[in-house]
Amino acid sequence: METMNHLIQIKNLGKTFKDFWYRPVIEAVKDLNLTIQQGEVFGLLGPNGSGKSTTLKMLLGLLRPTRGTIELFEGLRPEDVAVKARLGYLPEVSHLHEFLTPRETLMYYAALFGLPQVDAKRRTKELLQMVGLESVADRAVGRFSKGMARRVGLAQALINAPELLILDEPTSGLDPIGCREVKDLVRLLAKSGVTVLMTSHLLADVEDVCDRVAIMNKGERCAYGSTRDLLRNPDMVRFSVSGLTAEVAAEIRLQLEQRAARPVQQDFPEMSLEAYFLKVVSPDANNTAFKVAPFLEKKQ
Amino acid sequence: MKTIRKIFGIFLLALRASLRTKTVFALLLLMVTSVFLLPAVVKGDGTPQGDCHILVLYTLGFSFALLCLSTLWAACALFAAEIDNQLIQLSAVKPVRAFEFWLGRWFALLLLNAIALFAVYSAVYLQLRWKQRQPGWRESVQLVNRSVVHPLLPTPQEEAQEAYELLAKQKELPQGLSKAQILRVLTTKAQERYTIVNPGESISWRFQLPRPIATNELITIRLRFDTEYSTRTQVTGVCRIASDVLDAPMVEVPLDDFSLQEIEFDLSCQAFHLKHDLSGINLFFTHTGNPAKASALMLRFRKDVVVLTQGGSFEANLLRSALVHWSVLALLAAFGLTLSACFSLPVAVFSSTILLLLVMIGTSVTEVVSVEEEKEWLKKPGILVSRGVSAIAHHALRIDPLESVINGERIEDQAVGEALAWNVLLSPACFAFLGILILRRRELASGD
Repeated sequence: METMNHLIQIKNLGKTFKDFWYRPVIEAVKDLNLTIQQGEVFGLLGPNGSGKSTTLKMLLGLLRPTRGTIELFEGLRPEDVAVKARLGYLPEVSHLHEFLTPRETLMYYAALFGLPQVDAKRRTKELLQMVGLESVADRAVGRFSKGMARRVGLAQALINAPELLILDEPTSGLDPIGCREVKDLVRLLAKSGVTVLMTSHLLADVEDVCDRVAIMNKGERCAYGSTRDLLRNPDMVRFSVSGLTAEVAAEIRLQLEQRAARPVQQDFPEMSLEAYFLKVVSPDANNTAFKVAPFLEKKQ
Repeated sequence: MKTIRKIFGIFLLALRASLRTKTVFALLLLMVTSVFLLPAVVKGDGTPQGDCHILVLYTLGFSFALLCLSTLWAACALFAAEIDNQLIQLSAVKPVRAFEFWLGRWFALLLLNAIALFAVYSAVYLQLRWKQRQPGWRESVQLVNRSVVHPLLPTPQEEAQEAYELLAKQKELPQGLSKAQILRVLTTKAQERYTIVNPGESISWRFQLPRPIATNELITIRLRFDTEYSTRTQVTGVCRIASDVLDAPMVEVPLDDFSLQEIEFDLSCQAFHLKHDLSGINLFFTHTGNPAKASALMLRFRKDVVVLTQGGSFEANLLRSALVHWSVLALLAAFGLTLSACFSLPVAVFSSTILLLLVMIGTSVTEVVSVEEEKEWLKKPGILVSRGVSAIAHHALRIDPLESVINGERIEDQAVGEALAWNVLLSPACFAFLGILILRRRELASGD
């Protein structure tokens, strides 16, 4: 991993918020070190107030670090226009102009990237199809549900076919189908070479899609590494077999207990509630509704 | 090309933001009210001239004031509100430079103001034309546009400098005042200086016309006399007018009117019997009142005696007035945007309104302040701020276009050009520089 290209390199990053009189009030991020490689899906986890969003905002140039450095795309600073041209961002709350329609919203953000009108129109159409908002493309965003607004937010983050996608709580406000679709989309984008950095409170979401994670608490990094390494318990082994009769299962258990010289725990794995919900509500949920927009696929 | 697309995108968003909010419709309603209801509600003196005054000065003035406030507040909201409600976060992470944000929004305000001014001016113009069809109006109200020519005189500054040097030579300079302070007082006095014409006395002025006047054209002479105690008195005298050709015949016009009002008379250039166009005139006034009874006449020779020549159409003058007003709105928009980049919405709106009030009253504050007051440490900062604001605003508000329109005086191209250069280019460039600098330095998110 260390030999790969570092897309984001954070060194000794710190952020202290000050009051009106410039007295330090909160140390939101303390001495944070992180590297994110090209093409990986990285998860930033932590409870409320742990400094995740502050870190993201510093990465985006919206906040200025008090200490330390951030380098993106090998040596560029977050404030550089060249960096901003290559990334997409979905904030925790979508913050969309309520008087605009989804089509106008996407056309506006396309204009901010300087896309020619023809390209902007094509991408807007493809993204609206991708997030399933084509039928409401000309209705004001202010009248949308939180989930629909989230979809618009996601679409705007992809308008420039970003190399780095920063998602702050991407599944917040979405129903389980929407969550599933977003996770599938993240996987598809990662497959096409997009680096994704996401934060989430929903640990299952992160576990499902992230290659590596960092866990933050009170502004400090508590754990950092690949999801598999962090979650693996090297002392435990689990076998999952279907179709065994009770007798055969008891026999295997006995043999295992004899070989391990320890008690063996036996259970019947349950389907997750999310999987069950999807099975009930949308039996074909395995085939995600999100079809990656063609202009994003070209990178594959 | 990319920059233009970005600026256009921001411009379009600002336009949509303005047109899709209820505030704009409220403003439109208020403007319609001011344009159509104000002339009906405000009582004039019953004369067509009075009605014309109300229509042009009050209606256009009120609409312009309304636009000034709305432009200022809208500009204050454009950045501040977006920063306050975090809407800016999505735009700020896009590859857009601060100047592109600033320009896009400013252009949107310029266009909206241009549309609003066009609508208001058109409505007033149509009302004027409609009223001109009514009996009494056509005869008494002339919608004209005439160039104003002042007599050839040293500037007030030159006169003040001369007076200063004389005082210095005589060692009579007031003590405890700086040279700048003395010159300021002397310049103000020079601007308002009166010439006194006693019965039996004569006075003359020379006028250089800005363009040669053809022999078939008319020129107008306008005089306004005053008396020592500003009382209404009989003006009896003779005006003799001659072309600037040596030994040219003089045209004699007897005057029998009153002081404290403008006395105007037209003169055909044919009266000078010239073979070529008229390029300058000499005006002589003789007070023919009875030396025993008549009081001395006074006039401010820099303001109260002018020659008027044809300056184009009334419509062109109205357009120039609209351009000057538009330039002031452009300056206010730039100012508001910069405040918006610095402060939160309530602070930006409050400080902009206070500064606007200071511009309006600043000149009067600095005019009445005494030398003793200037030295008081408690009043000094206020006087300095008022003086600074007035000095800055002086360039922006140098001409009062509505006053010129109502007086039928041409707003000179140079004045319009200066207003555009100062209000639409130079000052906004400074404000933009400051605003962009602050936007680049400012954190656009909070640490929630």
